[in-house]
Amino acid sequence: MSLLVAPLALLWPAAAVAALADGRRRATGWAAVAVLAAAVVVLAALALRVAADGPVEVVAGGWPADVGIRLRADALGVVLALVSVAVVLAALVHGVISGLSPRLFPALMLFLSVGLTGLFLTGDVFSFYVFFELAMISAYALSSLGGEARMVSSALIFAVVNLLGSFLFLIATAALYRATGTLEMIAVADRARGIDPNTAVVIAVLYFVAFGVKLGLFPFHFWLPSVYGSALPAVTAVLAGALANIGAYGLLRFEAGLLPRELALGGGVLVAIGTVSIIYGAVQAIGRRDAREVLAYSAIGHAGYVLVALGVGGPVALAAAALFTVVNALGKALLFLAVDLRGPLVSGAFAIGAFSVAGVPPFAGFFGKAALFEAGVEAGSAAAVALLFVGGALTFVYLFQIYQHTYWRPGQEQPPAPAGARAVVAAVAAVVLLVGLWPEPLLALSDQAGQALVRMTS
Amino acid sequence: MNLFLALVVAVLFGTGATLLLKPDLFRVVVGVVLIANAASLTVIASGLRRGQAPIHPLIEGEPVSDPLTQAMTLTALIIGFAVTALLLAMVHRVYTTHRSVDLDDLARSERTVEEELERGVPVEQDEAEAEAESEPEAEVSR
Repeated sequence: MSLLVAPLALLWPAAAVAALADGRRRATGWAAVAVLAAAVVVLAALALRVAADGPVEVVAGGWPADVGIRLRADALGVVLALVSVAVVLAALVHGVISGLSPRLFPALMLFLSVGLTGLFLTGDVFSFYVFFELAMISAYALSSLGGEARMVSSALIFAVVNLLGSFLFLIATAALYRATGTLEMIAVADRARGIDPNTAVVIAVLYFVAFGVKLGLFPFHFWLPSVYGSALPAVTAVLAGALANIGAYGLLRFEAGLLPRELALGGGVLVAIGTVSIIYGAVQAIGRRDAREVLAYSAIGHAGYVLVALGVGGPVALAAAALFTVVNALGKALLFLAVDLRGPLVSGAFAIGAFSVAGVPPFAGFFGKAALFEAGVEAGSAAAVALLFVGGALTFVYLFQIYQHTYWRPGQEQPPAPAGARAVVAAVAAVVLLVGLWPEPLLALSDQAGQALVRMTS
Repeated sequence: MNLFLALVVAVLFGTGATLLLKPDLFRVVVGVVLIANAASLTVIASGLRRGQAPIHPLIEGEPVSDPLTQAMTLTALIIGFAVTALLLAMVHRVYTTHRSVDLDDLARSERTVEEELERGVPVEQDEAEAEAESEPEAEVSR
Protein backbone atom coordinates (compact mmCIF):
# COMPACT_ATOMS: atom_id res chain seq x y z
CA MET A 1 0.00 0.00 0.00
CA SER A 2 1.40 3.34 -0.92
CA LEU A 3 2.36 5.87 1.72
CA LEU A 4 -0.15 8.31 0.30
CA VAL A 5 -3.19 6.08 0.73
CA ALA A 6 -2.04 4.61 4.06
CA PRO A 7 -3.13 7.45 6.39
CA LEU A 8 -6.65 7.47 4.94
CA ALA A 9 -6.88 3.66 4.91
CA LEU A 10 -5.76 3.67 8.53
CA LEU A 11 -7.96 6.47 9.87
CA TRP A 12 -11.21 5.96 8.02
CA PRO A 13 -12.10 2.42 9.19
CA ALA A 14 -10.82 3.27 12.68
CA ALA A 15 -13.14 6.29 12.79
CA ALA A 16 -16.12 4.16 11.78
CA VAL A 17 -15.31 1.55 14.43
CA ALA A 18 -14.77 4.24 17.08
CA ALA A 19 -18.19 5.70 16.25
CA LEU A 20 -19.75 2.36 17.21
CA ALA A 21 -17.59 1.87 20.31
CA ASP A 22 -18.23 3.59 23.61
CA GLY A 23 -15.96 6.64 23.71
CA ARG A 24 -16.56 7.16 27.43
CA ARG A 25 -14.29 4.22 28.16
CA ARG A 26 -10.59 4.98 28.45
CA ALA A 27 -9.70 1.99 26.25
CA THR A 28 -11.53 3.45 23.23
CA GLY A 29 -9.78 6.76 23.71
CA TRP A 30 -6.35 5.17 23.89
CA ALA A 31 -7.05 2.99 20.85
CA ALA A 32 -7.96 6.13 18.91
CA VAL A 33 -4.73 7.75 20.15
CA ALA A 34 -2.74 4.75 18.88
CA VAL A 35 -4.32 4.89 15.42
CA LEU A 36 -3.82 8.63 15.18
CA ALA A 37 -0.19 8.33 16.29
CA ALA A 38 0.37 5.72 13.57
CA ALA A 39 -1.17 8.12 11.03
CA VAL A 40 1.17 10.90 12.20
CA VAL A 41 4.17 8.59 11.72
CA VAL A 42 3.00 7.65 8.21
CA LEU A 43 2.45 11.31 7.32
CA ALA A 44 5.91 12.18 8.62
CA ALA A 45 7.40 9.44 6.41
CA LEU A 46 5.39 10.80 3.47
CA ALA A 47 6.67 14.31 4.21
CA LEU A 48 10.26 13.05 4.19
CA ARG A 49 9.67 11.39 0.85
CA VAL A 50 8.06 14.48 -0.66
CA ALA A 51 10.97 16.59 0.61
CA ALA A 52 13.44 14.21 -1.01
CA ASP A 53 11.76 13.24 -4.30
CA GLY A 54 9.06 15.85 -4.95
CA PRO A 55 5.28 15.31 -5.18
CA VAL A 56 3.79 11.82 -4.84
CA GLU A 57 0.66 10.87 -6.81
CA VAL A 58 -1.83 8.01 -6.82
CA VAL A 59 -4.92 7.67 -8.99
CA ALA A 60 -7.70 6.16 -6.92
CA GLY A 61 -9.27 2.86 -7.94
CA GLY A 62 -6.71 2.02 -10.62
CA TRP A 63 -8.38 4.28 -13.21
CA PRO A 64 -6.35 5.82 -16.04
CA ALA A 65 -4.65 9.05 -14.97
CA ASP A 66 -7.09 11.48 -16.63
CA VAL A 67 -10.27 9.71 -15.55
CA GLY A 68 -9.80 8.73 -11.91
CA ILE A 69 -9.66 10.95 -8.87
CA ARG A 70 -6.09 11.82 -8.09
CA LEU A 71 -4.53 11.93 -4.65
CA ARG A 72 -1.50 14.16 -4.70
CA ALA A 73 0.92 15.01 -1.92
CA ASP A 74 3.06 18.05 -2.56
CA ALA A 75 5.13 20.00 -0.04
CA LEU A 76 2.36 22.40 1.01
CA GLY A 77 -0.31 19.73 1.46
CA VAL A 78 1.84 17.20 3.25
CA VAL A 79 3.28 19.68 5.76
CA LEU A 80 -0.15 21.03 6.65
CA ALA A 81 -1.59 17.49 6.87
CA LEU A 82 1.22 16.45 9.19
CA VAL A 83 0.89 19.48 11.46
CA SER A 84 -2.92 19.35 11.56
CA VAL A 85 -3.09 15.67 12.39
CA ALA A 86 -0.33 16.09 14.99
CA VAL A 87 -2.35 18.88 16.62
CA VAL A 88 -5.44 16.66 16.63
CA LEU A 89 -3.33 13.91 18.23
CA ALA A 90 -2.10 16.23 20.98
CA ALA A 91 -5.64 17.45 21.64
CA LEU A 92 -6.99 13.89 21.70
CA VAL A 93 -4.35 12.75 24.21
CA HIS A 94 -5.06 15.86 26.28
CA GLY A 95 -8.79 15.13 26.18
CA VAL A 96 -8.45 11.44 27.04
CA ILE A 97 -6.07 12.14 29.93
CA SER A 98 -8.20 14.86 31.44
CA GLY A 99 -11.15 12.48 31.34
CA LEU A 100 -13.31 13.98 28.65
CA SER A 101 -16.50 11.97 28.80
CA PRO A 102 -18.60 12.63 25.65
CA ARG A 103 -19.29 9.32 23.95
CA LEU A 104 -18.39 10.42 20.44
CA PHE A 105 -15.27 12.45 21.26
CA PRO A 106 -12.65 9.95 19.97
CA ALA A 107 -14.70 9.05 16.89
CA LEU A 108 -15.26 12.69 15.94
CA MET A 109 -11.57 13.46 16.35
CA LEU A 110 -10.75 10.55 14.03
CA PHE A 111 -13.30 11.66 11.43
CA LEU A 112 -11.87 15.16 11.66
CA SER A 113 -8.40 13.79 10.94
CA VAL A 114 -9.72 11.79 7.96
CA GLY A 115 -11.21 14.98 6.55
CA LEU A 116 -8.07 17.00 7.17
CA THR A 117 -5.72 14.37 5.72
CA GLY A 118 -7.93 13.91 2.69
CA LEU A 119 -8.37 17.56 1.86
CA PHE A 120 -4.69 18.38 2.14
CA LEU A 121 -3.69 15.39 0.02
CA THR A 122 -6.25 15.46 -2.77
CA GLY A 123 -5.58 16.76 -6.24
CA ASP A 124 -9.24 17.08 -7.18
CA VAL A 125 -11.40 20.11 -6.46
CA PHE A 126 -14.60 18.22 -5.73
CA SER A 127 -13.08 15.59 -3.46
CA PHE A 128 -11.50 18.53 -1.65
CA TYR A 129 -15.08 19.71 -0.99
CA VAL A 130 -16.15 16.29 0.27
CA PHE A 131 -13.23 15.93 2.70
CA PHE A 132 -13.64 19.55 3.71
CA GLU A 133 -17.28 18.96 4.66
CA LEU A 134 -16.31 15.80 6.54
CA ALA A 135 -13.82 17.80 8.60
CA MET A 136 -16.21 20.70 9.13
CA ILE A 137 -19.17 18.53 10.16
CA SER A 138 -16.97 16.76 12.73
CA ALA A 139 -15.86 20.16 13.97
CA TYR A 140 -19.45 21.43 14.36
CA ALA A 141 -20.31 18.35 16.39
CA LEU A 142 -17.10 18.60 18.44
CA SER A 143 -17.62 22.24 19.31
CA SER A 144 -21.08 21.47 20.71
CA LEU A 145 -19.75 18.73 23.02
CA GLY A 146 -19.68 19.35 26.73
CA GLY A 147 -23.29 20.09 27.46
CA GLU A 148 -22.98 23.66 28.69
CA ALA A 149 -25.79 25.80 27.38
CA ARG A 150 -23.71 28.41 25.63
CA MET A 151 -21.54 25.80 23.88
CA VAL A 152 -24.47 24.50 21.88
CA SER A 153 -25.74 27.90 20.81
CA SER A 154 -22.30 29.15 19.76
CA ALA A 155 -21.65 25.84 17.98
CA LEU A 156 -24.90 26.36 16.09
CA ILE A 157 -23.84 29.82 14.95
CA PHE A 158 -20.42 28.41 14.01
CA ALA A 159 -22.13 25.71 11.95
CA VAL A 160 -24.56 28.04 10.16
CA VAL A 161 -21.94 30.64 9.23
CA ASN A 162 -19.43 28.05 8.05
CA LEU A 163 -22.08 26.14 6.10
CA LEU A 164 -22.81 29.32 4.21
CA GLY A 165 -19.08 29.45 3.41
CA SER A 166 -19.12 25.80 2.31
CA PHE A 167 -22.02 26.32 -0.07
CA LEU A 168 -20.34 29.37 -1.57
CA PHE A 169 -17.33 27.10 -2.14
CA LEU A 170 -19.58 24.57 -3.87
CA ILE A 171 -21.09 27.23 -6.12
CA ALA A 172 -17.62 28.53 -6.98
CA THR A 173 -16.52 24.97 -7.78
CA ALA A 174 -19.50 24.48 -10.09
CA ALA A 175 -18.59 27.71 -11.86
CA LEU A 176 -14.95 26.66 -12.12
CA TYR A 177 -15.98 23.32 -13.63
CA ARG A 178 -18.25 25.04 -16.10
CA ALA A 179 -15.49 27.43 -17.10
CA THR A 180 -12.58 25.01 -17.31
CA GLY A 181 -14.29 21.66 -17.94
CA THR A 182 -12.23 19.79 -15.39
CA LEU A 183 -11.85 19.30 -11.65
CA GLU A 184 -8.22 18.17 -11.68
CA MET A 185 -6.28 20.91 -9.88
CA ILE A 186 -3.27 20.91 -12.21
CA ALA A 187 -5.44 20.94 -15.32
CA VAL A 188 -7.62 23.68 -13.79
CA ALA A 189 -4.52 25.80 -13.14
CA ASP A 190 -3.49 25.24 -16.72
CA ARG A 191 -6.84 26.12 -18.29
CA ALA A 192 -7.80 28.92 -15.90
CA ARG A 193 -5.54 31.26 -17.85
CA GLY A 194 -7.80 30.98 -20.85
CA ILE A 195 -11.17 31.67 -19.23
CA ASP A 196 -13.16 34.86 -19.38
CA PRO A 197 -11.65 37.35 -16.87
CA ASN A 198 -15.07 38.40 -15.52
CA THR A 199 -15.99 34.81 -14.69
CA ALA A 200 -12.58 34.21 -13.15
CA VAL A 201 -12.88 37.24 -10.88
CA VAL A 202 -16.30 36.12 -9.61
CA ILE A 203 -14.94 32.63 -8.91
CA ALA A 204 -11.89 34.04 -7.14
CA VAL A 205 -14.03 36.29 -4.95
CA LEU A 206 -16.35 33.39 -4.03
CA TYR A 207 -13.38 31.25 -3.03
CA PHE A 208 -11.94 34.13 -1.06
CA VAL A 209 -15.15 34.59 0.93
CA ALA A 210 -15.51 30.84 1.48
CA PHE A 211 -12.01 30.47 2.90
CA GLY A 212 -12.06 33.83 4.67
CA VAL A 213 -14.97 32.53 6.74
CA LYS A 214 -13.01 29.39 7.70
CA LEU A 215 -9.91 31.34 8.56
CA GLY A 216 -11.83 33.94 10.57
CA LEU A 217 -10.57 36.98 8.69
CA PHE A 218 -11.71 40.39 9.79
CA PRO A 219 -15.04 40.96 8.03
CA PHE A 220 -16.02 37.29 8.42
CA HIS A 221 -14.77 36.75 11.95
CA PHE A 222 -17.91 37.26 14.04
CA TRP A 223 -18.55 33.57 14.75
CA LEU A 224 -15.04 32.96 16.00
CA PRO A 225 -14.71 34.52 19.48
CA SER A 226 -17.85 32.90 20.89
CA VAL A 227 -16.89 29.42 19.66
CA TYR A 228 -13.26 29.69 20.76
CA GLY A 229 -14.41 31.11 24.07
CA SER A 230 -16.90 28.40 24.92
CA ALA A 231 -15.79 25.06 23.41
CA LEU A 232 -13.80 22.53 25.42
CA PRO A 233 -10.04 23.29 25.63
CA ALA A 234 -9.06 20.24 23.55
CA VAL A 235 -11.64 21.17 20.91
CA THR A 236 -10.55 24.81 20.80
CA ALA A 237 -6.95 23.71 20.26
CA VAL A 238 -8.12 21.65 17.30
CA LEU A 239 -10.19 24.50 15.87
CA ALA A 240 -7.32 26.99 16.12
CA GLY A 241 -4.44 24.64 15.35
CA ALA A 242 -5.88 22.29 12.74
CA LEU A 243 -9.14 23.57 11.30
CA ALA A 244 -7.93 27.12 10.65
CA ASN A 245 -5.24 25.60 8.42
CA ILE A 246 -7.99 24.72 5.93
CA GLY A 247 -8.65 28.40 5.34
CA ALA A 248 -4.98 29.23 4.83
CA TYR A 249 -4.43 26.18 2.63
CA GLY A 250 -7.53 26.96 0.57
CA LEU A 251 -6.42 30.54 -0.02
CA LEU A 252 -2.94 29.38 -1.03
CA ARG A 253 -4.14 26.54 -3.23
CA PHE A 254 -7.17 28.07 -4.90
CA GLU A 255 -6.17 31.71 -5.16
CA ALA A 256 -2.38 31.51 -5.51
CA GLY A 257 -2.30 28.09 -7.16
CA LEU A 258 -5.31 28.11 -9.47
CA LEU A 259 -6.22 31.73 -10.09
CA PRO A 260 -2.98 33.75 -9.75
CA ARG A 261 -3.98 36.45 -12.26
CA GLU A 262 -7.06 37.32 -10.24
CA LEU A 263 -4.98 37.19 -7.06
CA ALA A 264 -2.51 39.69 -8.50
CA LEU A 265 -5.45 41.89 -9.51
CA GLY A 266 -6.79 41.90 -5.94
CA GLY A 267 -3.40 42.07 -4.22
CA GLY A 268 -3.93 45.57 -2.83
CA VAL A 269 -7.35 44.67 -1.47
CA LEU A 270 -5.97 41.56 0.22
CA VAL A 271 -3.16 43.52 1.86
CA ALA A 272 -5.71 46.08 3.08
CA ILE A 273 -8.07 43.44 4.53
CA GLY A 274 -5.11 41.63 6.07
CA THR A 275 -3.86 44.84 7.68
CA VAL A 276 -7.28 45.64 9.10
CA SER A 277 -7.50 42.06 10.40
CA ILE A 278 -4.12 42.32 12.14
CA ILE A 279 -4.85 45.66 13.78
CA TYR A 280 -8.44 44.79 14.71
CA GLY A 281 -7.45 41.43 16.22
CA ALA A 282 -4.62 42.94 18.24
CA VAL A 283 -6.62 45.91 19.54
CA GLN A 284 -9.58 43.74 20.51
CA ALA A 285 -7.25 41.24 22.16
CA ILE A 286 -5.62 43.93 24.28
CA GLY A 287 -9.04 45.10 25.40
CA ARG A 288 -10.21 41.68 26.64
CA ARG A 289 -9.61 40.13 30.00
CA ASP A 290 -10.75 36.54 29.54
CA ALA A 291 -7.67 34.61 28.39
CA ARG A 292 -9.46 32.50 25.81
CA GLU A 293 -11.17 35.50 24.28
CA VAL A 294 -7.79 37.20 23.97
CA LEU A 295 -6.46 34.14 22.16
CA ALA A 296 -9.53 34.07 19.90
CA TYR A 297 -8.96 37.66 18.78
CA SER A 298 -5.29 36.88 18.44
CA ALA A 299 -6.26 34.14 15.99
CA ILE A 300 -8.19 36.70 13.93
CA GLY A 301 -5.15 38.97 13.93
CA HIS A 302 -2.76 36.25 12.89
CA ALA A 303 -5.01 35.19 10.03
CA GLY A 304 -4.29 38.65 8.63
CA TYR A 305 -0.57 37.90 8.15
CA VAL A 306 -1.36 35.05 5.76
CA LEU A 307 -3.52 37.40 3.75
CA VAL A 308 -0.87 40.13 3.62
CA ALA A 309 1.69 37.59 2.37
CA LEU A 310 -0.80 36.39 -0.22
CA GLY A 311 -1.40 39.96 -1.35
CA VAL A 312 2.33 40.61 -1.69
CA GLY A 313 2.65 37.50 -3.89
CA GLY A 314 5.63 35.72 -5.44
CA PRO A 315 7.37 32.51 -4.38
CA VAL A 316 9.06 34.07 -1.32
CA ALA A 317 5.83 35.47 0.10
CA LEU A 318 3.86 32.28 -0.62
CA ALA A 319 6.53 30.17 1.08
CA ALA A 320 6.39 32.61 4.01
CA ALA A 321 2.59 32.24 4.18
CA ALA A 322 2.90 28.44 4.26
CA LEU A 323 5.63 28.53 6.92
CA PHE A 324 3.73 31.06 9.01
CA THR A 325 0.56 28.95 8.86
CA VAL A 326 2.43 25.90 10.15
CA VAL A 327 4.26 27.54 13.05
CA ASN A 328 1.22 29.62 13.98
CA ALA A 329 -0.91 26.47 14.12
CA LEU A 330 1.56 24.87 16.51
CA GLY A 331 1.78 27.97 18.70
CA LYS A 332 -1.99 28.50 18.85
CA ALA A 333 -2.64 24.84 19.67
CA LEU A 334 -0.11 25.05 22.50
CA LEU A 335 -1.62 28.24 23.94
CA PHE A 336 -5.19 26.92 23.84
CA LEU A 337 -4.18 23.62 25.43
CA ALA A 338 -2.22 25.36 28.17
CA VAL A 339 -4.53 28.23 29.01
CA ASP A 340 -6.97 26.40 31.29
CA LEU A 341 -4.37 24.35 33.13
CA ARG A 342 -2.42 25.27 36.26
CA GLY A 343 0.67 23.87 37.88
CA PRO A 344 4.37 23.43 37.22
CA LEU A 345 5.49 23.06 33.58
CA VAL A 346 2.30 24.69 32.31
CA SER A 347 3.27 28.30 32.79
CA GLY A 348 6.62 27.60 31.16
CA ALA A 349 4.87 25.93 28.22
CA PHE A 350 2.49 28.87 27.91
CA ALA A 351 5.43 31.27 27.90
CA ILE A 352 7.09 29.25 25.12
CA GLY A 353 3.86 29.40 23.14
CA ALA A 354 3.53 33.13 23.73
CA PHE A 355 7.13 33.79 22.67
CA SER A 356 6.60 31.64 19.60
CA VAL A 357 3.39 33.37 18.52
CA ALA A 358 4.97 36.78 19.14
CA GLY A 359 7.92 35.71 16.98
CA VAL A 360 10.85 35.67 19.38
CA PRO A 361 13.86 33.43 18.65
CA PRO A 362 14.65 30.59 19.30
CA PHE A 363 11.04 29.44 19.07
CA ALA A 364 9.25 28.20 15.95
CA GLY A 365 7.21 31.37 15.44
CA PHE A 366 10.34 33.41 14.85
CA PHE A 367 10.93 31.75 11.49
CA GLY A 368 7.37 32.42 10.39
CA LYS A 369 7.70 36.11 11.17
CA ALA A 370 11.23 36.23 9.74
CA ALA A 371 10.01 34.72 6.46
CA LEU A 372 7.17 37.26 6.26
CA PHE A 373 9.70 39.99 6.99
CA GLU A 374 11.93 38.75 4.18
CA ALA A 375 8.94 38.69 1.83
CA GLY A 376 8.10 42.29 2.79
CA VAL A 377 11.68 43.43 2.19
CA GLU A 378 11.86 41.56 -1.10
CA ALA A 379 8.68 43.21 -2.31
CA GLY A 380 10.12 46.58 -1.21
CA SER A 381 7.04 47.30 0.86
CA ALA A 382 7.92 49.48 3.85
CA ALA A 383 4.30 49.36 5.05
CA ALA A 384 4.34 45.56 5.28
CA VAL A 385 7.56 45.60 7.29
CA ALA A 386 6.25 48.28 9.66
CA LEU A 387 3.01 46.31 10.04
CA LEU A 388 4.96 43.22 11.06
CA PHE A 389 6.81 45.17 13.73
CA VAL A 390 3.67 46.79 15.12
CA GLY A 391 1.70 43.54 14.98
CA GLY A 392 4.48 41.65 16.72
CA ALA A 393 4.77 44.24 19.47
CA LEU A 394 1.01 44.23 20.09
CA THR A 395 1.02 40.42 20.18
CA PHE A 396 3.72 40.56 22.80
CA VAL A 397 1.70 43.01 24.90
CA TYR A 398 -1.57 41.07 24.98
CA LEU A 399 -0.04 37.63 25.40
CA PHE A 400 2.01 38.70 28.41
CA GLN A 401 -0.97 40.57 29.77
CA ILE A 402 -2.83 37.28 29.99
CA TYR A 403 0.29 35.47 31.13
CA GLN A 404 0.52 37.87 34.05
CA HIS A 405 -3.21 37.62 34.73
CA THR A 406 -3.32 33.85 34.62
CA TYR A 407 -0.10 32.72 36.17
CA TRP A 408 1.17 35.55 38.35
CA ARG A 409 -1.91 37.03 39.95
CA PRO A 410 -2.07 35.88 43.57
CA GLY A 411 -5.20 34.70 45.33
CA GLN A 412 -6.63 32.39 42.69
CA GLU A 413 -4.83 29.19 43.59
CA GLN A 414 -6.33 26.27 41.76
CA PRO A 415 -5.31 22.66 42.16
CA PRO A 416 -2.69 21.74 39.55
CA ALA A 417 -3.97 19.88 36.50
CA PRO A 418 -3.39 16.12 36.13
CA ALA A 419 0.25 15.33 35.42
CA GLY A 420 -0.63 13.67 32.10
CA ALA A 421 -2.32 16.77 30.70
CA ARG A 422 0.65 18.87 31.78
CA ALA A 423 2.99 16.40 30.09
CA VAL A 424 1.07 16.76 26.80
CA VAL A 425 1.38 20.54 26.97
CA ALA A 426 5.09 20.22 27.76
CA ALA A 427 5.53 17.87 24.81
CA VAL A 428 3.86 20.33 22.40
CA ALA A 429 6.05 23.09 23.84
CA ALA A 430 9.10 20.90 23.23
CA VAL A 431 8.02 20.47 19.59
CA VAL A 432 7.68 24.26 19.22
CA LEU A 433 11.15 24.70 20.70
CA LEU A 434 12.61 21.91 18.56
CA VAL A 435 11.18 23.36 15.34
CA GLY A 436 12.66 26.70 16.40
CA LEU A 437 16.10 25.22 17.05
CA TRP A 438 16.18 23.03 13.96
CA PRO A 439 13.96 24.67 11.34
CA GLU A 440 15.81 23.47 8.23
CA PRO A 441 13.37 20.67 7.21
CA LEU A 442 10.40 22.97 7.58
CA LEU A 443 12.13 25.83 5.75
CA ALA A 444 13.07 23.51 2.90
CA LEU A 445 9.53 22.17 2.60
CA SER A 446 7.94 25.63 2.68
CA ASP A 447 10.37 26.88 0.02
CA GLN A 448 9.40 23.90 -2.09
CA ALA A 449 5.73 24.72 -1.47
CA GLY A 450 6.16 28.33 -2.57
CA GLN A 451 8.02 27.29 -5.72
CA ALA A 452 5.43 24.63 -6.52
CA LEU A 453 2.53 27.06 -6.19
CA VAL A 454 4.16 29.45 -8.61
CA ARG A 455 5.19 26.69 -11.00
CA MET A 456 1.68 25.26 -11.07
CA THR A 457 0.60 28.20 -13.16
CA SER A 458 3.61 29.24 -15.20
CA MET B 1 -32.97 26.94 -19.82
CA ASN B 2 -29.84 28.48 -18.32
CA LEU B 3 -31.67 31.70 -17.53
CA PHE B 4 -34.52 29.74 -15.92
CA LEU B 5 -32.11 27.74 -13.74
CA ALA B 6 -30.21 30.91 -12.81
CA LEU B 7 -33.48 32.54 -11.74
CA VAL B 8 -34.48 29.54 -9.63
CA VAL B 9 -31.04 29.45 -8.00
CA ALA B 10 -31.23 33.17 -7.29
CA VAL B 11 -34.68 32.90 -5.73
CA LEU B 12 -33.68 29.89 -3.61
CA PHE B 13 -30.47 31.55 -2.44
CA GLY B 14 -32.17 34.86 -1.73
CA THR B 15 -34.98 33.23 0.23
CA GLY B 16 -32.45 31.17 2.16
CA ALA B 17 -30.32 34.20 2.96
CA THR B 18 -33.37 36.11 4.18
CA LEU B 19 -34.38 33.23 6.43
CA LEU B 20 -30.83 33.03 7.81
CA LEU B 21 -31.27 36.50 9.24
CA LYS B 22 -34.37 35.58 11.26
CA PRO B 23 -34.05 35.12 15.01
CA ASP B 24 -36.04 31.86 15.00
CA LEU B 25 -33.57 28.96 14.76
CA PHE B 26 -35.91 26.74 12.76
CA ARG B 27 -36.11 29.40 10.09
CA VAL B 28 -32.33 29.59 10.12
CA VAL B 29 -32.13 25.84 9.50
CA VAL B 30 -34.66 26.08 6.66
CA GLY B 31 -32.54 28.90 5.25
CA VAL B 32 -29.46 26.68 5.26
CA VAL B 33 -31.44 23.91 3.55
CA LEU B 34 -32.60 26.31 0.82
CA ILE B 35 -29.05 27.58 0.25
CA ALA B 36 -27.80 23.98 0.11
CA ASN B 37 -30.35 23.25 -2.59
CA ALA B 38 -29.43 26.40 -4.47
CA ALA B 39 -25.82 25.16 -4.46
CA SER B 40 -26.85 21.68 -5.66
CA LEU B 41 -28.91 23.18 -8.44
CA THR B 42 -25.95 25.34 -9.48
CA VAL B 43 -23.79 22.24 -9.68
CA ILE B 44 -26.27 20.37 -11.86
CA ALA B 45 -26.80 23.42 -14.05
CA SER B 46 -23.06 23.67 -14.63
CA GLY B 47 -23.03 20.47 -16.71
CA LEU B 48 -21.13 20.89 -19.94
CA ARG B 49 -23.57 19.03 -22.18
CA ARG B 50 -27.26 18.16 -22.22
CA GLY B 51 -28.86 15.10 -23.76
CA GLN B 52 -29.92 11.57 -22.93
CA ALA B 53 -29.24 10.06 -19.53
CA PRO B 54 -25.70 8.67 -19.31
CA ILE B 55 -26.79 5.09 -18.52
CA HIS B 56 -25.27 2.16 -20.36
CA PRO B 57 -27.25 1.20 -23.46
CA LEU B 58 -26.79 4.58 -25.16
CA ILE B 59 -28.58 5.54 -28.35
CA GLU B 60 -25.92 6.07 -31.00
CA GLY B 61 -25.49 9.55 -32.36
CA GLU B 62 -27.49 11.39 -29.72
CA PRO B 63 -25.78 13.73 -27.26
CA VAL B 64 -25.19 12.46 -23.72
CA SER B 65 -25.66 14.71 -20.71
CA ASP B 66 -22.67 15.37 -18.47
CA PRO B 67 -22.53 12.54 -15.89
CA LEU B 68 -19.92 14.21 -13.72
CA THR B 69 -22.13 17.05 -12.48
CA GLN B 70 -24.90 14.56 -11.72
CA ALA B 71 -22.54 12.51 -9.57
CA MET B 72 -21.37 15.70 -7.85
CA THR B 73 -24.94 16.81 -7.22
CA LEU B 74 -25.78 13.47 -5.64
CA THR B 75 -22.82 13.84 -3.31
CA ALA B 76 -23.74 17.43 -2.51
CA LEU B 77 -27.34 16.41 -1.77
CA ILE B 78 -26.17 13.73 0.64
CA ILE B 79 -23.86 16.17 2.40
CA GLY B 80 -26.72 18.66 2.59
CA PHE B 81 -28.95 15.99 4.09
CA ALA B 82 -26.34 15.10 6.74
CA VAL B 83 -25.84 18.75 7.56
CA THR B 84 -29.59 19.30 7.97
CA ALA B 85 -29.82 16.37 10.36
CA LEU B 86 -26.90 17.72 12.38
CA LEU B 87 -28.35 21.24 12.52
CA LEU B 88 -31.76 19.96 13.63
CA ALA B 89 -30.07 17.87 16.33
CA MET B 90 -28.23 20.96 17.54
CA VAL B 91 -31.41 23.04 17.54
CA HIS B 92 -33.05 20.30 19.56
CA ARG B 93 -30.24 20.51 22.10
CA VAL B 94 -30.53 24.27 22.26
CA TYR B 95 -34.22 23.78 22.94
CA THR B 96 -33.63 21.24 25.72
CA THR B 97 -31.09 23.52 27.43
CA HIS B 98 -32.75 26.91 26.93
CA ARG B 99 -36.41 25.95 26.41
CA SER B 100 -36.39 28.37 23.52
CA VAL B 101 -35.30 28.47 19.90
CA ASP B 102 -35.29 32.25 19.66
CA LEU B 103 -31.87 33.83 19.20
CA ASP B 104 -32.90 36.94 21.15
CA ASP B 105 -33.67 34.80 24.21
CA LEU B 106 -30.36 33.01 23.83
CA ALA B 107 -28.47 36.27 23.54
CA ARG B 108 -30.12 37.52 26.73
CA SER B 109 -29.09 34.50 28.76
CA GLU B 110 -25.61 34.62 27.25
CA ARG B 111 -25.26 38.25 28.27
CA THR B 112 -25.90 37.28 31.88
CA VAL B 113 -23.08 34.73 31.69
CA GLU B 114 -20.76 37.34 30.20
CA GLU B 115 -21.57 39.88 32.88
CA GLU B 116 -20.77 37.28 35.48
CA LEU B 117 -17.45 36.70 33.81
CA GLU B 118 -16.67 40.41 33.73
CA ARG B 119 -17.55 41.09 37.33
CA GLY B 120 -16.39 37.79 38.76
CA VAL B 121 -19.59 37.45 40.80
CA PRO B 122 -23.04 36.09 39.91
CA VAL B 123 -25.29 38.80 38.57
CA GLU B 124 -28.75 39.23 40.02
CA GLN B 125 -31.19 38.40 37.30
CA ASP B 126 -34.38 40.26 36.64
CA GLU B 127 -37.55 38.23 36.65
CA ALA B 128 -37.85 37.41 32.98
CA GLU B 129 -34.31 36.17 32.82
CA ALA B 130 -34.66 34.20 36.00
CA GLU B 131 -37.67 32.50 34.50
CA ALA B 132 -35.80 31.68 31.32
CA GLU B 133 -32.87 30.30 33.27
CA SER B 134 -34.78 28.39 35.89
CA GLU B 135 -35.42 25.45 33.63
CA PRO B 136 -33.35 22.47 34.71
CA GLU B 137 -30.22 22.08 32.63
CA ALA B 138 -29.46 18.64 33.97
CA GLU B 139 -31.53 16.86 31.36
CA VAL B 140 -29.03 17.53 28.62
CA SER B 141 -28.09 14.18 27.27
CA ARG B 142 -24.36 13.70 27.22
